[in-house]
Amino acid sequence: MTRLSPSVVALGGCLCLLLVLLLVGVVVLYNRLVRLRNQVDASFAQIDVQLQRRHDLIPNLVETVKGYAAHEKTTLDAVISARDAAVAAGRTGPAGRAETENALTQTLGRLVALAEAYPNLKANENFARLQSELANTEDKIAYARQFYNSAVQTYNTAIQSIPANLVAGPAGFRAREFFLAPDDGRGNVQVRF
Amino acid sequence: MPSWFPDVALGAIPVAAWLACYGGVLLATRPHAVTPAPASLELGPEPPAVVSLFVNGWRVTVDAVESTLLDLAARRILEFRQPADDPRQTTIHVLDERPTGLNPYEQRVFDRVAGLAVGGVVPLTALTFRDPARAKAWWKRIRAEVVADARARGLSQRRFGRPIVVALVLAAALAALPVAVMAYRLAVRGGDDDPSGAALAGGFLCFLTLFLIAARPLPDRDTAAGREAAAAWLGVRDWLRGHEAFADLPPAAVAVWDRYLPYGAALGTTRTASAVIDLGLGDQRRPWSSYGGVWHRVRVRYPRWRPWYGRTAPALAFRALLALGAGWLLVRWWRPFVGDVSPILPEALGTAADLVAPAGFGAGLVLIGYGFSSAARLIHDRLSPVTVTGQVLWIALWQSTSGGEDSPPTPLVYHLAVDDGTGERTTAWAMPASLHGSCDTGDTVRLTARRWSRRVDTITVVERGTPGHRDGAEPKVDTSRAATATNSRATDLLTSAEVTQALGLAATAIPMPIGMLAQFAGPDGKPVLMIQVLGGTLSRVATRVAGLAQRPARATPLPGVGDEAWLDEDRAVARLPGGTLVALVLLGDARGRGAALPGLLTTLVSRVLTDRAGAADGGGSPIEVRQSSP
Repeated sequence: MTRLSPSVVALGGCLCLLLVLLLVGVVVLYNRLVRLRNQVDASFAQIDVQLQRRHDLIPNLVETVKGYAAHEKTTLDAVISARDAAVAAGRTGPAGRAETENALTQTLGRLVALAEAYPNLKANENFARLQSELANTEDKIAYARQFYNSAVQTYNTAIQSIPANLVAGPAGFRAREFFLAPDDGRGNVQVRF
Repeated sequence: MPSWFPDVALGAIPVAAWLACYGGVLLATRPHAVTPAPASLELGPEPPAVVSLFVNGWRVTVDAVESTLLDLAARRILEFRQPADDPRQTTIHVLDERPTGLNPYEQRVFDRVAGLAVGGVVPLTALTFRDPARAKAWWKRIRAEVVADARARGLSQRRFGRPIVVALVLAAALAALPVAVMAYRLAVRGGDDDPSGAALAGGFLCFLTLFLIAARPLPDRDTAAGREAAAAWLGVRDWLRGHEAFADLPPAAVAVWDRYLPYGAALGTTRTASAVIDLGLGDQRRPWSSYGGVWHRVRVRYPRWRPWYGRTAPALAFRALLALGAGWLLVRWWRPFVGDVSPILPEALGTAADLVAPAGFGAGLVLIGYGFSSAARLIHDRLSPVTVTGQVLWIALWQSTSGGEDSPPTPLVYHLAVDDGTGERTTAWAMPASLHGSCDTGDTVRLTARRWSRRVDTITVVERGTPGHRDGAEPKVDTSRAATATNSRATDLLTSAEVTQALGLAATAIPMPIGMLAQFAGPDGKPVLMIQVLGGTLSRVATRVAGLAQRPARATPLPGVGDEAWLDEDRAVARLPGGTLVALVLLGDARGRGAALPGLLTTLVSRVLTDRAGAADGGGSPIEVRQSSP
C-alpha cells in the first residue's frame, strides 16, 4: 500500500477541517434564519389574536348602536361589510390583511363618532365598555404590529445579508411583507400656527 | 483524645446543629424556580421595578431603577432625546415638573433627575453619584421602597417570618447554654478564678453571634401570587428576547416602544438602554458640571504624585531646607570623602569611585537647585494666593492617618475638584480635613488657595447647589464624621447641671466606656438617669427586639419632637430622621419624676440634630470656614 506524503495528509486534514467549519457555519446560519422566521410567524399570530378580538367586539358594538341610531344604516352596513371583508381576508398575506383591517378601522372610527350625535348612546354603559375595549385592542394591535414589523425587518435583513443569503435562497427563506399602518398615520402633517 | 475535647465538643455540637438548622431554613425558604408562561406581549399591572424582582431572585437590582427611569419617560413625565448616533449623548428633559400618582421609588428617581436638571435638562450620563455614602443611602431607600411595594401587592414576603425568627432565637439561646458550660469547664481547667464570668461571657457572645446571624437582613422570597405574576412576566421576557432588535434599542426609543422598553429593562432584555443608564458612582476624572448654566464634562487631574501637592507651608519649607542641606553636604563633602576612601579600596572599586564622585557632586547641585526652587516657589505661593470661583464637582478623601486598633483613621486631606469655567480641564485642589463639610458637590464656592501647592486656605459658599446636585435630597452621611452624625456621644449631650435642675436632685455624670450610653448618678452615687442614643444597626435591633421604636398604647405622645416621640411613665423616647433613636430612662430615686423628661428629651433631640447638621453641613449660605494657619 502506498503511503501518503505528510504534505498531502496535512492538506487533506485542512480541507476536512474547512469542510467541517463550513458545515457548522451553514447549520448555525440556517438555525438562526429558522428562529427569525418563527419569530415573524409568532409576531403575526399576536396580531391575529388581537384582530380576532376586534372582530368579535364589532357585532356587539353594532347591535348597541342600532338600539339608539338604527337609521344610521349606511354607517352600520359599512362597518359590517368591512368586518366581513376583514374576516374573509384572514387567509391572505399581511399586506392584504392590513388593507382590509385599515378599512375596518376607518369605518369603526365613523361608527364611534356617531356617539357624539346621540347623547343617550354615549351615556350607554355597554357602549362605553365596548368602546374602551375596542380602544384597548387597537393599542394592542398597534404594539403587535410594531413587534411584527421589527421581526420582519430583522428577518429580511438577515436573509439579504452575506453570508446568510447563500443559505436563505436554496433553503427557501423568502422576504416577508410588513404590516402597514393605516394611511391616516402616514398622511401629510398639517402644521398650524 | 485530648482531655479538653469533650468540653469543646459539648459547646461546638449545639452551635453546629444551630448552623445546620439555619442553613436548612435558608434552603427551605429560598425563592422557587418559576416556569415561564408562553411567550406573550401582554403586560401586567405591576410596575417595572417590581417586575425586576421576578428575574433577579427577588432581589432589587439596578434594573429596578433603570426601568423606573424609562417608565417615567414612557408615561410622558420625562423625555429622552438623542441628538446623534451615540446613545450616551442622550439628554433627559423634564416634561412634568410636578407629576402626581408616583409611588415612593418613582418619586425618588424623578427627584434625582429633576434635582439635577438645569433648565429642565440633564444629560443621561450625569445621573451618577459622586459620594459613595450618598449613593449607598439612596440605593438603600430605593430597595426598601421597591420591596415594600412588592409586599403590599402580595408578590413578595420576608425570607423569614416572625415564627421562624423566634424559633431561631430560642434555638440560639439553647445552643448558648452548652457553650456557657463549655466556657465554665475550660475556665476551671485553666485555673481561672472566675469561671462563672467566663461562662456568662461565652454564653452571651455565642447567643449574640447566633442572634445576629438569625436577624441579618435577607432578600425577600416569593409568594403564590408572586410566582403567578412572575410566570406571566417571564413569558413577556421570552417574547422580548425573541426580538433581536429589541436588545439594541437606545433609551430614546421609549418614545416608540412605550412601556415595552422599561419592562424590557426590568426583565433584562435591553442591552444598550441598560448599558447607557447609570445611577452608580460616577467617574471622578470626568465629572459633569453645570457651571455657567449648561451641562458639560470636565476633565479633572489629581496630581497626587507631585511631592509638593497639598503640603502645608511648614512641610514644604522643611523639604526645601532638607534638600538644600543634603545638596550642600554632597557638594561640599562628597568629593573629598570619595577621594579619601578610594585609595584604600581595591582597584576596580577605585575606578568606580572616580565615576561616583562627580555623580554625587551633580546630585548635590540638583538638590540645591530643587531646594532653592522650592523655597522660591513657596515664598511666591505664600505671597500671592489665588481666588477661584466655581462649582464643586467632586470631593474625595486623599490622605488619612493609618489608624490603629483603638483609633479609626483620621482624614487629613481631601481632593476638591472645582470647575471655574475657564476650560474643560482642571486640576483638583487639596482641601484640609478642617475645611471638609464646608461645601458640597454642586455648590458654587469661592476659595482662596496656593497656586503651587494647590492647598486650599478658605472656602466661601457663594450659592448652594440644588438637592440633586448635592447627590439627591438625602441627608448627607459624612464618612469622616459618620459616627458623630448618627451616634452622638450621649455623654456630651446633657450636662449635670441640666439634669440636676430638671430632676430636682444633685446629679453627676458617670463616665461610660460606650459613647451611645450616658448615666447620671444621684447624691448616693446610684444611677438616676440613663441616656441612649442609638443609630444604624443598633437602632434597628432595638426596634425589632425591644420594641423601643414602637409607642406603647398607654404612652403619651410628645408632638414636635423628632419624627415621633412619647412619654411612657419613667421613659421618654424620640425617633429622629434617619432612624436614630434617643431614649431617656429614669432609674432608682428619680423614678416617678417623668414630668421632667419631655424638657430633657427636647434638649437632647435638638443637640443630636445640631450635631448631625454640623457633621452634614446643613448650614445656611454663605458660610466661611477658615483653616488654622499652617
